Amino acid sequence: MRRAIAAIVARDLKRMLRQRGRLVSSMVRPLIWLFVIGTGFQGMLEGLGRGGYQRFLVPGLLSMVVLFGSLLASLSMIYDKESGVMRMLIIAPLPRAVVLLARTLGAALIGICQALLLMLILFALGYLGVPRDPALCALGLVAQALVCASLGTLIAVFSKALEDFAVIMNFVIFPVFFLSGALYPIEHLPGVLKAVALANPFSYGVDLLKHALGPEALFDPDFSVGKDLLAMLAFVVLALAVACRRFSQAPVFESLARVFTAPKRH
Amino acid sequence: MSTPAAILTERLAKSYGAVVALAALDLAIEAGQFFALLGRNGSGKTTTLQLLSTLLRPSAGRAWVAGHDILGAPLAVRRHIGMVFQEPALDRNLTAMENLRFAGALGGHSARTVRERASALLQLFGLTDARDTPVAALSGGMRRALDIARGILHRPRILLLDEPTIGLDVQNRRAIWRHLGRLRSEEGTTLLLTTHHLEEAAGCDRVAFMSRGRLIGQGSPNELVGALGEYVLEVETESPAETASHLRPRFGEPLVEGERLLFRVAGGAVSLDHLTHELRAHARAIRLRRPDLNDVYLWIHRDPPLNYHPEGHPGIAAGAS
Repeated sequence: MRRAIAAIVARDLKRMLRQRGRLVSSMVRPLIWLFVIGTGFQGMLEGLGRGGYQRFLVPGLLSMVVLFGSLLASLSMIYDKESGVMRMLIIAPLPRAVVLLARTLGAALIGICQALLLMLILFALGYLGVPRDPALCALGLVAQALVCASLGTLIAVFSKALEDFAVIMNFVIFPVFFLSGALYPIEHLPGVLKAVALANPFSYGVDLLKHALGPEALFDPDFSVGKDLLAMLAFVVLALAVACRRFSQAPVFESLARVFTAPKRH
Repeated sequence: MSTPAAILTERLAKSYGAVVALAALDLAIEAGQFFALLGRNGSGKTTTLQLLSTLLRPSAGRAWVAGHDILGAPLAVRRHIGMVFQEPALDRNLTAMENLRFAGALGGHSARTVRERASALLQLFGLTDARDTPVAALSGGMRRALDIARGILHRPRILLLDEPTIGLDVQNRRAIWRHLGRLRSEEGTTLLLTTHHLEEAAGCDRVAFMSRGRLIGQGSPNELVGALGEYVLEVETESPAETASHLRPRFGEPLVEGERLLFRVAGGAVSLDHLTHELRAHARAIRLRRPDLNDVYLWIHRDPPLNYHPEGHPGIAAGAS
């Protein structure tokens, strides 16, 4: 079992390293936000002091990298359903839940690696100092990566086809990112949007990173560290429990079985 | 439950809503047997393999694979079987060797064991040169061979293959059969496969015919072919109805395939010279030949045995001629 989990995780990481272009673009995305959006808004927010808004963005941008890295990696199970890898995993003498959890773990590690890489870049560019609380920062990244990976896993076991991908981008990734306190503090949001942000597990990861990265953040975190951790833990446990249950049920396998039988010509 | 049978099913069934994919299958496959399920697309062959490999849950009935209950102990079942799907279970982005290593690790084997076995299998399947080639760059035949290597890497006692030769050219088909033959003689592996190439199944110990989710006959190819009759008389004619009524009193009810009439006949019962002369006005061609599995397939579909028992004799009505 240990060997199997290690192999599944290693395959995910190997794939990340092989897809250099994707790795580079995952670093470019937050940097564009930092320099384009960040600079633009900075002009409006002179009161924050030089580079203030850009520094405010840092916890959100680290979370963004994790969101794209981990969520897309665990969503890749949708692609795998249509390729041979899922067949290998399904026929292996492993409980279904282990397959699912190992993929989630691999996806979380991908997000963490990408966030660490971005931290190095931001550090070199002078947008990030030594974190006030390095241990909390590490914990925050791990928790945020697990949240994003679990969310991806949850979506992957419920989606039927690849076409859902654009839908996922519009209805999951964007709202999760925009309504999270990554770009602006949650407290100023009007009722409905605030409620969504509060229900968004990703918000608590952004908040935890604000705690961990320290005095640079111009706005105080919205919640306490304990509340952040509890909210994320609750989401991860719930999401994975639902996903595992769903993954072990017949309908998923009947649709997989159809994929295996009806040969698709590429 | 422990049983000497490698695979045992009791009224195993699978339906999707109102659609019955498999209806009450009773099957017993002995250890070391080379068993083929034959039938058209949609006859329930693939469903059977998917149920036996614990990929699908049965709607009713039970089954044991290598003595393990498919519902109660799916992990034990998967540990003892190798499964080769119609589409390869391989990662296109990994090389041949990396795929085998990944599959081996998934089975819980040590890196060293996997490396040794994988090298031997690559050699057995003539893939040594493709060892470091990504799967995406392999030919269809090589991919299939690699997929079978993947299926037997963990030395399963039972190998399930769903149309192992589908989409392959004759050369590759022969190579795959050669490999399967060796696997059975050298390792004593039980092989259960589906195919619709009947001529390929002639080398199996036992074949079973399926139609619309039901088993309609089984036996050893020799038994089945033998039970059909000594010879098949084949008459090609432009007036099948007329010719059939002409010959029916002598040879019984023919099997009609377009302009082809097939009769089951005993060796001494027919004189070709005589027939040729007699039918010269109607027949384009007259042939007397030994029956083969194709004939069994045709007759078994026309006259499915009414009271068929899996443990009994092959279900072809005797003495129609």
